Amino acid sequence: MSTAIDTLTAAFNDAFAQLGQSAEHDRRVVVTSWPSLPIEIVRASGLRLVVARASDTATPAADSHLEPGLFPGRVRQLVDAALAGRLAHVARVVVPRTSDCDYKCFLYLRELVRGGLAAAMAPTRLFDLLQSDGAHVGRHNVERTRALADTLADASGHHPSDDELRDEISVTNTARAAARRLAALRIGAARGSGTELFPLLGAFWHLPPREYTSLANQAADDLARRAPLPGPRVLLAGAPVDGTDLHSAIESRGAVVVDELSAWSRGGADDDIRCGDDPMAALADACRCRTIGARLPAAAMRDRVERALDHVDAVVVSLPDDDATFGWDYPALRERLSARGLPHAVLRGGAHPFPSSAEGERLERLVDAASRRRVHHG
Amino acid sequence: MRRVAAASTMADKQLAVTAAASAFQKEWFAQLRQRVFERREPYALVQADVPFELFDLLDVPAVSNQWWAAVIAAKQQAPGLLDAMAADGLHDGLCRYCSLGYASMRYGDAASVPWGGLPPPRLLCARLTCDCIHRVFSMWADACGADFVEIDHAGAGELQPEWWTLGRRRWRELVEPHRLAFTVAALEALVARLEAISGRRFDPGALRARLERVNQQEEIFDEVRDLIAAAPECPVRMTEQISNVMATQWVRGSDWALSHARAFRDEVKQRVDAGIAACPGERVRLMWVGAGLWHDTDFYNAFEASHGAVFVWSMYLAFGPDGYIRYGLDDPMAALASRTASFNEYLHNPPWAPDWIAHQAVQHRIDAALVLRPRSMKPSATGRLFIERALERAGVPVLPIEADVVDARAWNPEAARAAVRSFLDERMGA
Repeated sequence: MSTAIDTLTAAFNDAFAQLGQSAEHDRRVVVTSWPSLPIEIVRASGLRLVVARASDTATPAADSHLEPGLFPGRVRQLVDAALAGRLAHVARVVVPRTSDCDYKCFLYLRELVRGGLAAAMAPTRLFDLLQSDGAHVGRHNVERTRALADTLADASGHHPSDDELRDEISVTNTARAAARRLAALRIGAARGSGTELFPLLGAFWHLPPREYTSLANQAADDLARRAPLPGPRVLLAGAPVDGTDLHSAIESRGAVVVDELSAWSRGGADDDIRCGDDPMAALADACRCRTIGARLPAAAMRDRVERALDHVDAVVVSLPDDDATFGWDYPALRERLSARGLPHAVLRGGAHPFPSSAEGERLERLVDAASRRRVHHG
Repeated sequence: MRRVAAASTMADKQLAVTAAASAFQKEWFAQLRQRVFERREPYALVQADVPFELFDLLDVPAVSNQWWAAVIAAKQQAPGLLDAMAADGLHDGLCRYCSLGYASMRYGDAASVPWGGLPPPRLLCARLTCDCIHRVFSMWADACGADFVEIDHAGAGELQPEWWTLGRRRWRELVEPHRLAFTVAALEALVARLEAISGRRFDPGALRARLERVNQQEEIFDEVRDLIAAAPECPVRMTEQISNVMATQWVRGSDWALSHARAFRDEVKQRVDAGIAACPGERVRLMWVGAGLWHDTDFYNAFEASHGAVFVWSMYLAFGPDGYIRYGLDDPMAALASRTASFNEYLHNPPWAPDWIAHQAVQHRIDAALVLRPRSMKPSATGRLFIERALERAGVPVLPIEADVVDARAWNPEAARAAVRSFLDERMGA
């Protein structure tokens, strides 16, 4: 593995786990529950973002307040960190409105503070950016984005000017271009596995853009020299993922995950943001249209899936125990896959143990079917 | 105080007004079908938390999705529809309460849908509270070729705990200005759509007058709540409270609603004055926290004979006065928006629900609470642990009840009743 790949992978994996170890380090950190904040504002304010992720680490403190089966692992990790005092020194906790679970996470955190259970915790704010259509939604989103900038300025002591925001958008677009180079290496003859590449794309959120650009370009150079990976190409659809457990399970059976619907990987590799006259409005609108999550309208999600289907031999639809949203898209997705002759498998498993033997067998049958299709279709 | 014989009070319906409420709803629905099928008039299918007043003022009848789901469940027709959903690949973890109505149209052959079923709507409307609402209503609108108007739900950033003390007169303090403005804009967009459908013009003066009548109706419910809370023994079963309150809430502020609310209050007052109890010899006052168990409403009366345990409180009556009344109607749309903005959050989530429910428990001299743990309604199942703790802190023992409010397939009525009896025996000494 190259140094660049190592560094990017570590940035993706370790950032949240490291919180609480150094007050000095944490003071410039904004913690969030999903990569759906306008990162340019965070950085232009002189702060850096750390996003909570699910992990194998037990969350006993959170589990006594968060009802079982309702919240994804990333929210449990965030609440557990709050109750353990690991968020005491961060600049702010900002919870986005990406899903109902995130909103409830905000309400719970504030209640835990009110009840004295998370007394040592940084101020917690809601970033209430909505994803539906309508002029009033657009106005609301711009106003909420400005309020976020004010919140972060209170924490950092620096309120970025419009020109500073434009500069930050520009340099972040350069990082996006580097992320797109990495993503392109998954299309066609994949040069890296999804297990390896997902963290490289996800590191976009945790690293300063110039550093990310340099490392991602180095990693892309290294990956481009590799031989293409054999095996059928798989899209990971359904509930957005924030880790590589599913990628590993699929790839251990001989397939390659070449795309997934997740704000972690798509957020960096999306098109550039064009800021026009009002950078704040441009950032708000980008968050509204692009953030992959439970409140992205079904039609927008459908478009995302449709674009990805051109490049894959099979689809895995992940609908974990806590899914309350993406399962509704499944019958229509099944019809579209059938029309294209693409095999698919639905996985309902929770995180542990994953996959179950039945789901493992289902994956193996899927990979077999996708392999045959790939041979047949070239 | 005089007690009447148990035999006469344990009848299925103890209040005359309850039968009138049921008859009204059935007749209202039959008339709706007639208007739609014979006169091709438009109607709307809506979530329970949208402002029905706007639909009524523009003469677009509105059917509550939750009410319709409750009717299907009460008629024991949900299992076939839910099986059909599962067979179509919609997994069992998805919310059934908000989607059963959709299933009744999409998979109508899988059950004997009550009352001839829903006619095709012209419009669907929902607040985007839970994440699934957009999905369910989009699919539903597609399935019947109707429009879907979304009222997105701006989240609360400033959290006022004692919302019920602010809502009536200080509602501008309760809802942050940007949320109020957002909700007003969303309601104005809804009005524009309703005007286009109905060909009528919206009149703000008529809205003010309607909200004044809604206030009157909810004041009457406030009286009923006080009567129930103060009476030595609960004068009216919870199920009959719900039947009478909800029949009026769907047409709130109408002549019939006001008239029926008064009749309900008068009959409850007569019973209190006459010392008539829902369960004479009442020993345990129970509270039900959560949506109703629509497929097994007999559950709520099942512990009267054995334990003298009576369900005294549910959110359905109590939320009327605390959630709906808005005084100061200079800007009626803003007042309406202040109710709409956080509507069902107050019922489920911290900081609002735990404090309110504990406060209600004390006011109603509640001895124990049964708290619903909803099986499939994932988003609205949140907040439950905070509520349970708040009740226990208030000295109210809690028994969680795991159930789905419309899906009886995994519900074991005998086991559930046995669990409650054990709870009453062991924790209440009843």
